[in-house]
Amino acid sequence: MVNLTELENDALVEIFNIGVGHAAAAMSEIVNEEVVMSVPSITFLNRTDAAELLGSKKDGERICGVSQHYSGAFATEAILMFPEDKSLEIVRLMVGDSMPLQELTEMEQEAMSEIGNIILNACVGTLANLFGSELHGSLPVYHVGTSTEILSVFGEQGDDVVLMLHIDFVLARHQIHGYVAFVLDLSALHDLKEQVDRYLARVLGQA
Amino acid sequence: MAHSKQVLVVDDSRVSRLMAHQFILSKHADWQVTEAATGEEALQKVATFQPYLILLDVNMPGMGGLAAAEQLRAQCPQTHIFLVTANVQNAIRNRAVELGVGFMEKPITETRIHQLIDSLAA
Amino acid sequence: MPEVLHRLSLLESIVGAINLGAIVLDENRSIVLWNGWMARHSDWPAATVLGRDFFEVFPDLQHKRIESAITQALRDNFQSLLSQTLHKSPFPLYAPGASEGQERMQQAVAVTPINLPGVPRHCLIQINDVTIAVGREKLLREQTLVLRSQTFSDGLTGVANRRQFDVTLEREMRRAIRTGNPLSLLMIDIDHFKDYNDYYGHQQGDGCLIQVAAELAAMLKRPTDLLARYGGEEFAAILPDTNAQQALQMAEAIRLRTAGLRIPHEKTGDQLRHITVSIGAATKHPDQPLEIAALIGAADRALYLSKRSGRNRVTAQPA
Repeated sequence: MVNLTELENDALVEIFNIGVGHAAAAMSEIVNEEVVMSVPSITFLNRTDAAELLGSKKDGERICGVSQHYSGAFATEAILMFPEDKSLEIVRLMVGDSMPLQELTEMEQEAMSEIGNIILNACVGTLANLFGSELHGSLPVYHVGTSTEILSVFGEQGDDVVLMLHIDFVLARHQIHGYVAFVLDLSALHDLKEQVDRYLARVLGQA
Repeated sequence: MAHSKQVLVVDDSRVSRLMAHQFILSKHADWQVTEAATGEEALQKVATFQPYLILLDVNMPGMGGLAAAEQLRAQCPQTHIFLVTANVQNAIRNRAVELGVGFMEKPITETRIHQLIDSLAA
Repeated sequence: MPEVLHRLSLLESIVGAINLGAIVLDENRSIVLWNGWMARHSDWPAATVLGRDFFEVFPDLQHKRIESAITQALRDNFQSLLSQTLHKSPFPLYAPGASEGQERMQQAVAVTPINLPGVPRHCLIQINDVTIAVGREKLLREQTLVLRSQTFSDGLTGVANRRQFDVTLEREMRRAIRTGNPLSLLMIDIDHFKDYNDYYGHQQGDGCLIQVAAELAAMLKRPTDLLARYGGEEFAAILPDTNAQQALQMAEAIRLRTAGLRIPHEKTGDQLRHITVSIGAATKHPDQPLEIAALIGAADRALYLSKRSGRNRVTAQPA
């Protein structure tokens, strides 16, 4: 479906790792503890396969998603996703709450929205800065539901591609796995690939 | 004219290695830059020579930058070693001080590399 | 009055009247707008802060989340949210007329880029007072905690909790005395459970407890029987109208059934390699005067003997 060269893939993975590295530093400052985040790999999928990847084996497990819309040099819907109980775990770790697990309250949804805001802005911001692109980002919106529901909140486009980042999040010896999805239409995907190539040409001095 | 120096760049990202490599040569075209993709590979390389400078990515699979830094510091007592990371927080700052290594922020830019090299000569 | 000026004074009135704080910074992070709400809640009139560098006015906010939010607004054109849960009160703002030493108001903050034609990007900081909402939330959580402590089930396994055990044992003891029937008690403890937890992790440890509890609960079919979670890996079964021999039979059935689950356990330190239980049984005989503590003590002693004699067995002790 999408053919990135090894170098293009490497560049994107590295850029996103820098992004989540900045996000981890920001979160560490808030919580005053060591936070480490990394992007071990990225994949390009269609919406159905993406939903399946996120969909859990346990019935009824819900996903928490925080989405932001970006427009300008390219347009995308970016969504940070964790299984619902992991999302709650992260918030509780960040807030330092020692109460037993229960339903996410409104305040905790707000906290998760900020965490999404930090991570998404860091990822897209790093991309935009290194590419020299002009973008505009929205405020975060919180969703909860199945993976299919979350990925289709923004309308369906038949030829949409999802750029999926696998995210590893470590705080206080808790290791949590989540995802960031960028929903791109074909034109945005083309723009992205072009930007990556221009970036590589610029920094590696290759034509 | 100053001696040609040897630099070891350790990063699992090839793009990152190429960039660092390039930015070093743009300041000192006569320096020799060797690359390693993992901490283990880096240890193998320093078995045969002691670099002037090692740039060490923190976020690497396998051994990881911090563990590699500890061993490299032991094997190359005279070498300038710098951890390279986007995640600059107190925990890592303290660890760097403990290990007797420096650190540099990512993204790797020509300015940052040149500033780092200048600071070593001082 | 010309249309433009009319509109301008309308907008100025609105900014002055809105019930939230509005600060606008220019591209150099100098304060160019400080609305009435900010003045009322900070005790700084606009004249004292306009034109000054934001971080000169708020030095404590340097290198914190709001600084990167401002940078992201001015440089990257991104919006940021500072939630009240992660940052209780970043700005020194108070209820109007607050006395010395009063707590800051709780704030929700949004940072937004403002793009104007022909002028470098500006940055708007909006501050909402959420003290009441936070207070309501805190009350709700406290009420939930109270409710929780009033329940009778063990959260993890769903069987009765210690509180229900205590209440039930007292009731059954009184009934046994009144009716002259025997009352038996079993103490059931999972063997080498700490080693299981250490080896397989706490999540799987919890799974094991749930599975064993379900099996035990299924075996106690009479309505007056009660299975409770007595401690971390310890269960207790109250068996009314059950004499010592029947109690021993039930205990042995439980032991066999649990072993029959064949839950793998690599670290039992013996040949068995699966989960087993040790059980202690004690009985209050009809017309035998006995305190509850003595009945529990006897069952405990019996359990101890089971453990000492090699585990995966049943022992009875006279009360």
